[in-house]
Amino acid sequence: MARFHELTVTEVRKTIRDAVVVTLKPGNGAADAFDFTQGQYLTFRRDFDGEELRRSYSICAGKDDGQLQVGIKRVDGGAFSTWANEGLHPGDTIEAMPPMGGFFTPLDVAANKHYVGFAGGSGITPVLSILKTTLAREPGSSFTLVYANKAVSTIMFREELEDLKNTYMGRFNVLHILETDAQEIDLFTGLVTEEKCADLFKGWIDIAHVDTAFICGPEPMMLGIASALRAAGLDDGRIKFELFASGQPGRLARKTVSQGAATAANQTSAAITLDGATQTVTMGKDRTILDAALANAMDAPFACKAGVCSTCRCRVLEGEVDMIANHALEDYEVEKGYVLSCQSYPVTDRVVVDYDQ
Amino acid sequence: MANDMSIESYLAQGGVLTSPGNVPPRYRAELMRLMATFVDSALAGAAGFADVINDGPGITERIAASRIVLEKLDHAERVLKIMGDFGADTDRYANHHPWTARLPRDADVGAIRSEHDMRLAVFNYPLEGWADAVVMNLLMGRAVCVQLAEVSRVSYQPLAEVFRAIAPVEIRHADLAEEGLEKLACDPANHEGLAASVAYWAPRVADSFGGDSSARAELLGSFGLRHNTNATLRDRWRDDVNATLARHLRFEMSG
Repeated sequence: MARFHELTVTEVRKTIRDAVVVTLKPGNGAADAFDFTQGQYLTFRRDFDGEELRRSYSICAGKDDGQLQVGIKRVDGGAFSTWANEGLHPGDTIEAMPPMGGFFTPLDVAANKHYVGFAGGSGITPVLSILKTTLAREPGSSFTLVYANKAVSTIMFREELEDLKNTYMGRFNVLHILETDAQEIDLFTGLVTEEKCADLFKGWIDIAHVDTAFICGPEPMMLGIASALRAAGLDDGRIKFELFASGQPGRLARKTVSQGAATAANQTSAAITLDGATQTVTMGKDRTILDAALANAMDAPFACKAGVCSTCRCRVLEGEVDMIANHALEDYEVEKGYVLSCQSYPVTDRVVVDYDQ
Repeated sequence: MANDMSIESYLAQGGVLTSPGNVPPRYRAELMRLMATFVDSALAGAAGFADVINDGPGITERIAASRIVLEKLDHAERVLKIMGDFGADTDRYANHHPWTARLPRDADVGAIRSEHDMRLAVFNYPLEGWADAVVMNLLMGRAVCVQLAEVSRVSYQPLAEVFRAIAPVEIRHADLAEEGLEKLACDPANHEGLAASVAYWAPRVADSFGGDSSARAELLGSFGLRHNTNATLRDRWRDDVNATLARHLRFEMSG
């Protein structure tokens, strides 16, 4: 199982008003573990007021930049991104898991391909890593970037992209689509929708000769672009998506331990929620939560029944259960009340569990 | 960028998820169940088929059978790796169940899974010799091809990519089975036994497509984890297998 390593922050640079590029140096002996592939992301963890938060941010550096960098845009109400933008300084240390994710295609120095990337806002970070690496390592390939932003002032990496255009003249092209700022060409104003893409494919992008498309941005934008690409003849194998690791700004509520706890009686009243419906069942304390749900005709999820796969994960909202084996959940999940229902026996006379959380 | 679309409605409109950090809890559970079914079936299938390698009438057949076992294990490993991204203990998983275990040949479990693993029910039945294994491998192999074409479109991108990568290999496995059948069919003395094997395996493989009235089908559909109904897939499989049988044995599956 992947584990966390300590990284030292060597630079924090503002790119736009509410986004920073953080340069990181892996601690002793961890350099190999952070040898990333273009387009991958790092998952960080940090304790906020006694609760661990984990957030993933894409690497924006190219393979040949010789450094590890992530872009972090501040999300309203987001504890982690706000801290990264306001409270993170060179010399600080931060914990992260080794790079993960499959938002890339293999590169080949002899390739002669055309790629198109679609990025919305901070969705540029993995796309930037991909395009820098691709342009450097596939000298015969070209890349077109369609980059959607609200306005000129919110374009992350604007200057860096201009520099890349000059470095890779004729092989790299950027189309900036701005939601609110008017541009010389009408087509470049507004949202990147399915219709807008179809128009772009008419004159600006030679979609018939595109080998692979990369898309990273908000969900509605990804849906529209994907439809337009499919309509233009690209099959799913040639469309690569990267969805932002969910915004998750809110804090998870702490579980409430019910008063009264356990009595001598061997029965528990269990309220089990699945797919929005709650059933309250009376069950023996010698029975697992999962078995009780199944015995009451609830279609509760499970697979291995051995505490190994985590398919049967649910969250205890009230009361207490005893999880006799756990080979799948991590400590921070357990702290939040998650249990493997196939291994969990009720302890208190009343428990409330939820498979939907 | 404004972003007020829920993950659920994004999925319902054909959206794609890309990492464990994106997936809602119920989606996670159904995705895990889908993967466990594939992994357990591949592990149980490979384990059962491994015993048959020595029954192959010639070296070519034994090589084909060995290759199928090797590649099925490889496919199980690839999907299990994705389960590992969600926290599953992959080392322990590979050994948590005796994958060679089988029920008696005449047990009748319908589509009911065993208590301990998620293999499709058909993998609970034992093979009886080489010709029987060839027939099972053809019928189930074609079912796998139909199912893989379906799940190659699942909304979890890393899994869809694995399924798309292994689909051509599984097609080759079914083709190897057809070659094996063609060879056996050359000798009329084999026909009766082959027909008996087809009669034995056909309903069991048909059951593996599952029922059609499940509320879960709707849930899976809204998650983008399923696109066609079980009946549609089963019909596709039946047409496919019947065409093959008609080519080599001049009969079709009953029912």
